Amino acid sequence: MRTFRSGLLIGLAVAVAVAAAAITYERYDTKTLKRTLRRDAVLCGVNTGLPGFSNSDEKGNWSGFDVDFCRAVAAAIFDDPTKVKFVPLDANERFKELQSRKVDILARNTTWSMSRETNYDLYFPAVAYYDGEGFMVRASRKANSVLDLGNTKICVQDGTTTRLNLADYFKANNLTYEEIKFGKLEDMLKAYDEGQCDVATSDVAQLYALRLRLSKPSESVILPDVISKEPLAPVVRQRDDDWMMIVKWTLYAMINAEELGVTSKNIDEAMKSKKPDVMRLVGTEGEYGEDLGLTKDWAARIIRHVGNYGEVYDRNVGADSKLKIPRGLNQLWNAGGIMYAPPLR
Amino acid sequence: MTGFRDLTLAVSAVACLLLSATHGFAQQPRPDVGDEPGLIADDSFQLDPEYRKQVVLYRTTEPPGTIIIQTAERHLYLIQGNGRAIRYGIGVGREGFQWQGILNITRKAEWPDWTPPPEMIARQPYLPRFMAGGPGNPLGARAMYLGTTVYRIHGTNRPDTIGTAISSGCFRLVNADVADLYERVAVGTRVIVRQKPKL
Repeated sequence: MRTFRSGLLIGLAVAVAVAAAAITYERYDTKTLKRTLRRDAVLCGVNTGLPGFSNSDEKGNWSGFDVDFCRAVAAAIFDDPTKVKFVPLDANERFKELQSRKVDILARNTTWSMSRETNYDLYFPAVAYYDGEGFMVRASRKANSVLDLGNTKICVQDGTTTRLNLADYFKANNLTYEEIKFGKLEDMLKAYDEGQCDVATSDVAQLYALRLRLSKPSESVILPDVISKEPLAPVVRQRDDDWMMIVKWTLYAMINAEELGVTSKNIDEAMKSKKPDVMRLVGTEGEYGEDLGLTKDWAARIIRHVGNYGEVYDRNVGADSKLKIPRGLNQLWNAGGIMYAPPLR
Repeated sequence: MTGFRDLTLAVSAVACLLLSATHGFAQQPRPDVGDEPGLIADDSFQLDPEYRKQVVLYRTTEPPGTIIIQTAERHLYLIQGNGRAIRYGIGVGREGFQWQGILNITRKAEWPDWTPPPEMIARQPYLPRFMAGGPGNPLGARAMYLGTTVYRIHGTNRPDTIGTAISSGCFRLVNADVADLYERVAVGTRVIVRQKPKL
């Protein structure tokens, strides 16, 4: 009897210990890849709605540049770009939600800066989109450069780094301007449309979206100048290097694919390529996928399901989209831009 | 000298169009779809925004004044320095007629004449034996010769072919654009032609 009771007690203790361990493990397991596999989906924090970057239609289908990046990660892991759960986040909560593991990746037009990495214990694996402050001006003005914008009225949103950058840049170049400030972007756009100012300034990607909403979009141009650095990047938590590597190399695989001419349309042909660079990318040579904890064809999956960097750019924000933002800085390093990925080897 | 020059002009024009003609016949249900002599260029044709002339950011170590043609993109860049380029939309060589390299502009011509090759006449007897430069000429308003090749940058009477891969290796711009480019470049200008990498 006594033995039975103590046996029961021991059994109970073991069960409690196992349960506690399981709970602790689940809670403190920092291996995002394992959690993702168990869940059978990547949790992706996105913007609640930003033209070209993250948008959801009436049926809840998400699309956009940031959205496609998460789909690419899902394609690499699951060979299925639909295994993503999108979590719309506003700007204030985004870092907290990532820290508390509500999402695996933040792909939410977020500017990489030092303090964001150090203060929030986060990590920005690589730049996905080089944005920066630009200028929209009426075409009739025939301005070729920001340096032609002296003595103009410039509309700018108050309380933004945009306003500070504007002041710095014009001062540094000995240009005078009349600043017209607005609390809301909406009001700024309206004022520009009504002709209260000659110029509107904001980040370039935003200007292209704003221009579409003008009464006569074709009468305004966005100058090619970029006067500030707004490198948009996906974000992950620190101290999960395996996951960070997957996110980083997903992006680099897409950029390398474009450089090598591998697209979603010719991926089957690329699988038969005898070119060493292409073979390493698509996994017919080497074990680069396995080294990431994925499969040999991880990058081929990304390209097949989502496309290379240029395809994703064109579809969402570039030539094939409504926005039609020229590649600019986001063109490959050997074609006029600065998009450069370390070699996959 | 002028006579010889004109002859060279005629010969390369013929070569360019001949290539386009023979191959066009094999691939297209309608021959020479990219070249319709006599068709007056529709100057009111609206190019897709992507192919309209615009100043863009372009970083390169090539000196200002260089032309860089990125065929896969269907864009021709005239480098301006200070990280800028003027970008024009172009029509490029179709599959099998793609080439890359560095050449110089060796000659410029306004409203170049056209002498269709005998093969083309045989197939389309209604074609003129000689076509003076003008708005109905497939070579368009201007031509800039590349090295000693048959390739050139020229205008077109088919603005709707900008953005396509239809030529035999020549690069075509709408007439307004080719005239604009013509004024900005001199004989001797370096032209870099880039293709998408092969798998």
